[in-house]
Amino acid sequence: MRTHLKRAWTACAAGLLASGLALSAAAAQTAPSEIKIGTLYASSGPFAVASEGQYHGLQYWAAGVNKSGGVFVKAFNKKIPVKIVAYDDQSSTATATTLYNQLITQDHVDILMADFGSVLTSVAIPLAAEHHMLLIDPTGSGANFFTKKTNYLADVSIPSSTVWPLPLAHFILAQKIKRVAIVYGSNDFDASQAETLKATLEKGGVKPVYYHGVPTTESNYTVLLHTIAAHNPEAVIELGYAPNDIAFLHALAGSGLHFNMTFTIFPGQLLALMEKNVGAKTLAYTYTYPTPPLVAYPKTTLGPNTAAFVKEFTAAEKAAPNFLDAAGFNTGLIMQQMLATAPKFTQLDFHQALMDMSGKTTTLLGEFKINSHGAQMGELPPVAQLVPAGKGVTPVVVYPQDKATGKAIYPAPKK
Amino acid sequence: MRKPPAWRGPGLVLVALAAIFAVAPRLYSNESVLFTMMTFMALAQGLNLLYGFTGYLPFGYVGFFGTGAYATSLLVTFTSLPVIAAVLLGGLAAVVVGLILGPLFRLSGPYFSIANLAASQIIYNVVANEALKPITGGPYGIKIEHVYAPTASYVTMLAILLAATALAAYFRRSRFGLGLRAMHQDPISASLAGVDIVRERLIAWLASAAIAGLAGGAYAWNLSVFYPEAVFTLQISVFAIVFALFGGVGTVIGPLLGAALLYAFYAGIGVSAPQYFELLYGLLIVLLVLFLPNGLASLLTRRNVDVL
Repeated sequence: MRTHLKRAWTACAAGLLASGLALSAAAAQTAPSEIKIGTLYASSGPFAVASEGQYHGLQYWAAGVNKSGGVFVKAFNKKIPVKIVAYDDQSSTATATTLYNQLITQDHVDILMADFGSVLTSVAIPLAAEHHMLLIDPTGSGANFFTKKTNYLADVSIPSSTVWPLPLAHFILAQKIKRVAIVYGSNDFDASQAETLKATLEKGGVKPVYYHGVPTTESNYTVLLHTIAAHNPEAVIELGYAPNDIAFLHALAGSGLHFNMTFTIFPGQLLALMEKNVGAKTLAYTYTYPTPPLVAYPKTTLGPNTAAFVKEFTAAEKAAPNFLDAAGFNTGLIMQQMLATAPKFTQLDFHQALMDMSGKTTTLLGEFKINSHGAQMGELPPVAQLVPAGKGVTPVVVYPQDKATGKAIYPAPKK
Repeated sequence: MRKPPAWRGPGLVLVALAAIFAVAPRLYSNESVLFTMMTFMALAQGLNLLYGFTGYLPFGYVGFFGTGAYATSLLVTFTSLPVIAAVLLGGLAAVVVGLILGPLFRLSGPYFSIANLAASQIIYNVVANEALKPITGGPYGIKIEHVYAPTASYVTMLAILLAATALAAYFRRSRFGLGLRAMHQDPISASLAGVDIVRERLIAWLASAAIAGLAGGAYAWNLSVFYPEAVFTLQISVFAIVFALFGGVGTVIGPLLGAALLYAFYAGIGVSAPQYFELLYGLLIVLLVLFLPNGLASLLTRRNVDVL
């Protein structure tokens, strides 16, 4: 009897061992030889500069992980190299549609990542959902995208346009500024911010004295500035793309007008470009949202902190990174952590892994926090003032208090 | 020897088109490429109805396309109409815009083309105007994701392509089309011969607008999340014109061949060698202008082959 039992146990153990070996062999067989990340970039057209920056950041991340043998994929319990499959959409939505489909249906990529910005991301959203693929959205922040619960969209490297200006609104209220003028580009990115800013200010008892949308192509703000001045505002907030900001600041410098506070978006993202185009004197004492690397996050739970990233990137690429390089790199980091924690190699598990990371992860761009609609609610940029430093200007974070590196010089001195 | 019936050639083209695009998704799973190819074939054919038969070149043809896209999207958003009905009404909306723009025919040649271009930009700016945000979504775009149906929109676009081709065949073979061509050659003589120039030209213009509007509607259905620039970009007009010219306007198969070949080339280069895209595409167009100014169809007509 004992011998029979012993034999039975031995058989069971052998069976378990065999099935365990078989399972691990199956797992090893199904592990891909490379993780294919499909994305688009624009080498020409209106989104080229920004898109290439984001793509460059992603390439830098991929080169880094491949140097160390690839990304760790929990589902296969091993490191697997990353391969980026990328096509050029030339900033065209029609071309982007076919190329996103190409990535999904022909290249069978494992992870789908959108191109830069809301316009080129928009066409990928229904396609990704139709094919049950999670769309990793680095910089498409359109308010329209995040209107319902989804498992197939995650905005990872830029806050949703609807929450972006919250620190700015709170700063204006804290400074007790009562007369605010807001001029914004009539596009999703700027107008969503303008709406949030207006609503938050009004909630704090400040009704903007001027609130006006201009075409995205606006290039002459001279008349507009005099109209704004007639409303006697203390603060003038201009929300536009880089060309709008350049035109606005040029017009302000040439108009002889002075406001206690002037705010534009892009000096905080592309400071070198703005300095070159409008000059340090014009930028002096204006405010902006400083994005990494202009604002540093010293403590991270995932990847290098901002300073280390800048150092490593500059050494490897022989050029200092801008925000879009950081956004592309950050997207890579988030995908890396997603693969390292998703228990199964499925799109739904990828999405769940991101949700599990939400609120518990800090990267070089700040706190990663997405909601069930896929919108990024973290990574909020603080408010900074550009103060003269040598021949240029340097950002000094003035709000919120816990991130502040200096005090706002308010009202801004006359130049 | 008995002459073949007049409908045989067009019938064969329609059957071939339907068969190719019905089978193609089984052979090539990137349906977006096939869908966009059909869109440009329909647009090139729609443009051919006007330019190929009357000589009026509408630079702002995209205005009708965008009108159809937005009319369809708004009907889907604000009514409970089936999407197919919304697409048909999108075509009707383009016809209404065509009627409003009818007085542009007081102009001719480049003046007509430029005025048409300006009209399309006015429509774009109205649709994208922020004041219309509650209706059109303004610059924030429009979303009809809840009716997204790639297969149904694919079949609809195929039907629109077949309708455009049938119309072109009618223009090519009918007395009506003969009148249009006579008018194109010499409007005064045609008028003296009894051709009602204003009426016939307007019919061709509205038929062309309807095709663009229908195509815009089906395109919007297929995209389902888009910004105004996506359906009003001048690139759409430029492609439709280049594709139609490449194949040969005034024929039925010319615009179809031109759009299919050039779009396939465009998509192929875009995937395999994007860095050479502008160079190769530009070179091809220069060669076309130098050696085949009347399009691919002229290779056959030069040899006295009767091209449909």
